[in-house]
Amino acid sequence: MNSPLEIVCPAGTPAALKVGIDAGADSIYLGFRDETNARNFPGLNFSRSELSEAVRFTHDRGRKVLVAINTYATAGNMIAWFRAVDDAAACGVDAIIVADIGVLEYAVKHQPQLRRHLSVQASASTAQAIKFYQQEFGISRVVLPRVLTVGEITELNQEINIETEVFIFGGLCPMAEGRCSLSSYITGISPNKEGVCSPASHVRYSEEGGQLISRLGGYIINAFKAGEAAGYPTLCKGRFVTGGKASYLFEDPTSLNALDLIPALMEAGVCAIKIEGRQRGKAYLSKLIPEIRSMVDAAAKGDMMPSSGLEMIAEGQRQTAGVYKKSWK
Amino acid sequence: METTSKLTLGPVFFNWAPEKLRDFYFRIADQAPVDTVCLGEVICSKRLPFYEGLIPDIAERLEASGKEVIFSTLALVMNEREVSAIYALSQKPEFYIEANDTSAISCLKGRRFAVGPFINVYNEATMDYLIGCGADRICLTCELPSRSIRILAEHSTVPLELQVFGRMPLALSARCYHARLHSLHKDGCQFVCDQDPDGRSVETLEGDGFLTINGIQTMSHSYVSLLAELRELQDIGVYRFRLSPQDVDMVGVAQIFRQVLDHRLDPGEGQNQLETLSGNVAFSNGFYHGGEGCHYINP
Amino acid sequence: MTFSKQFSPPFSPVLLLGLALRPLPPALLNPLLGRALVIMRNRHPEIFERLAELDDPVFLIDPIDLPFAFLLRPGPKHPSLRTISDPSKVKPVATIRSSFLQLIGLLEGKCDGDALAFSRDLVIEGDTEAVLILRNAIDASDINLMDDIFGSLGLFAKPLQASVGIMGRIFNRLDDDLEVFRNAAFRPIQQKTAAQGDEFKSLQGRVHDLEKTAKTRSGREIIS
Repeated sequence: MNSPLEIVCPAGTPAALKVGIDAGADSIYLGFRDETNARNFPGLNFSRSELSEAVRFTHDRGRKVLVAINTYATAGNMIAWFRAVDDAAACGVDAIIVADIGVLEYAVKHQPQLRRHLSVQASASTAQAIKFYQQEFGISRVVLPRVLTVGEITELNQEINIETEVFIFGGLCPMAEGRCSLSSYITGISPNKEGVCSPASHVRYSEEGGQLISRLGGYIINAFKAGEAAGYPTLCKGRFVTGGKASYLFEDPTSLNALDLIPALMEAGVCAIKIEGRQRGKAYLSKLIPEIRSMVDAAAKGDMMPSSGLEMIAEGQRQTAGVYKKSWK
Repeated sequence: METTSKLTLGPVFFNWAPEKLRDFYFRIADQAPVDTVCLGEVICSKRLPFYEGLIPDIAERLEASGKEVIFSTLALVMNEREVSAIYALSQKPEFYIEANDTSAISCLKGRRFAVGPFINVYNEATMDYLIGCGADRICLTCELPSRSIRILAEHSTVPLELQVFGRMPLALSARCYHARLHSLHKDGCQFVCDQDPDGRSVETLEGDGFLTINGIQTMSHSYVSLLAELRELQDIGVYRFRLSPQDVDMVGVAQIFRQVLDHRLDPGEGQNQLETLSGNVAFSNGFYHGGEGCHYINP
Repeated sequence: MTFSKQFSPPFSPVLLLGLALRPLPPALLNPLLGRALVIMRNRHPEIFERLAELDDPVFLIDPIDLPFAFLLRPGPKHPSLRTISDPSKVKPVATIRSSFLQLIGLLEGKCDGDALAFSRDLVIEGDTEAVLILRNAIDASDINLMDDIFGSLGLFAKPLQASVGIMGRIFNRLDDDLEVFRNAAFRPIQQKTAAQGDEFKSLQGRVHDLEKTAKTRSGREIIS
């Protein structure tokens, strides 16, 4: 029996964290309630005292807490990010997930004992880039950007001696993470700086002519006919026109579901699988995590188990194995 | 540090035919009042073989006319072949190279290099680190507001650069949108991106000009213009200004910027000329002013 | 229906109950709803703490299968929860529409709001951010309506249970089976609320009539 993949589960609130742990997650990743993390959504995330409590709860059950401090620190106001690093260390978390070189450097200097994971937001897509972060900032794990196929991940793992973590389920960025200014182009709020993509404050839904219209920052993003499954009002999953034809130019409203690739990813040398969705909540986790738990355990024993019944929680009620399969590109 | 204003012609992001590219650079060499020119393929490594052979001639012509040449590397490096190409380039000390991806920084660390706009430099700590690695010029990312630029400029020991003209590079993807649009796979793309020398225009369902696709890259629909902000940028301490090539009279664009920098042309009049020259395209400067990148704030 | 003209409500027991309740002034529920909000504030202060970033918001919660909606004002200054029959008189920061059971499911963290939105079973209008804050605040706590509200109300809960309790607890299990619905749902209520027996008899009669109409209209759906 191989050692099972580590299931890294999102939590936007303490209640979601408990659901994730009870449902069988190995690690929980979460963020502080501010712009230091890439899911800086209103009403979401953890206060310092909630984090302390979360660490106690999680460690009592032998699991881990990973804190995402994965936005790019603002010039002249780096203190918010530095404090996040220090507070995460003080709360006794198991690792921080960082993208910004300035923040990484601070963590190395001031909290050297604290494990550092390289965030997907750093978009380290080659062995060369990953080795660079390893040598310069002593990262222990890299969250691979969603630009690599399973074949490419296999090759990559042969060249590096560091843990790799990949996204397995949830929202799918068709763009290279941490390198996208589409949302800030029309809302002025940046995923990299403020930690929000397609901020709810700039989203408007309306019913017009029997269609559900979604707008972001005043621009129409999509129009759904009655009965048509809807998606998030994220720009990259909108319907746009070029050459007189409307289409999902960048990506369909769809979720990543690569659960069937769990055995292949194990084979590829991946050590942890991550679920996107800190903004999703308890119901999502209680459906998803037990399913993934049993698939991971089956794969560790060499059994194959098909995933099922997750279409309803998927965006647009559609799913894709995304870039892990080459045909996506 | 330098306090004379300089113009840089950024790399051509589009898939232009080799002859068009050569003629373009020869004309730039002979006529454009720019100080620095970036060469190299930044968007898609598959395009490079078509014009690679021309680069030495182009570089020579540019240098002969007194222009500094920078070799810009790929923005999204995704395989070993691409890394090897960057590594090979990095082993030639006579070349001045602009890194656009961490893989390139890794190759260039310890020697002199430039940091391109695809590297995330949002704060002084990151800037200091890169300078420590050997970076001696940094072109900032287009979404930085003036307040961040000011802090970085106050802090920096190397010249900073900012894009002041052209469509803004907003996103990169493993997926090729030109191929997807033509129902082709990336590996068999037939180089359809060459049909759109100024990028493929993308509109909203309501017909608003919105974005531009260029292979794996997504750009703004609007051209950024910081003509009216040049003086303020100089006050802040930024003296290098990047013009990103569009399929318009780039010599004319460079002349307008040069004249405004030299106080020979009023920025407002310069903007009028820029609009005439660029045809029916919207302009924007919202990122600089701390808001939506697509907006144009009147000076 | 007064609300949600653009949505046809799902044919559910709640819809039947809603129609049955139509002659009852929804305002009768208001003292109980107010009390319920106080209990929620005491038992789940963390919800209201997360809502603090909004400036006294007013939400219109519109169960599309009930003939009235709820107006929720969770801010610290004048918190209130009440029914409303004419939504044109209020200017909510946002409107949240879904079936009553799904709204309860959202409140208890048993339904995935995003999934409901993907399937178009949940519709949001107005300030999306305010709704997100409310959703996240509610999802951050462990609400169990039965324990939270009915556990605390004690004797006072009886009339509330008779109306809200039916929808939340019993109907959830009964689904579409009208026969079971009539026998199992109304009989215990009648027993519990003997004092209101007459009113419920007329309700029961009304539901019986509705049942007949419904069966003639779309019998296959209901009986299957």
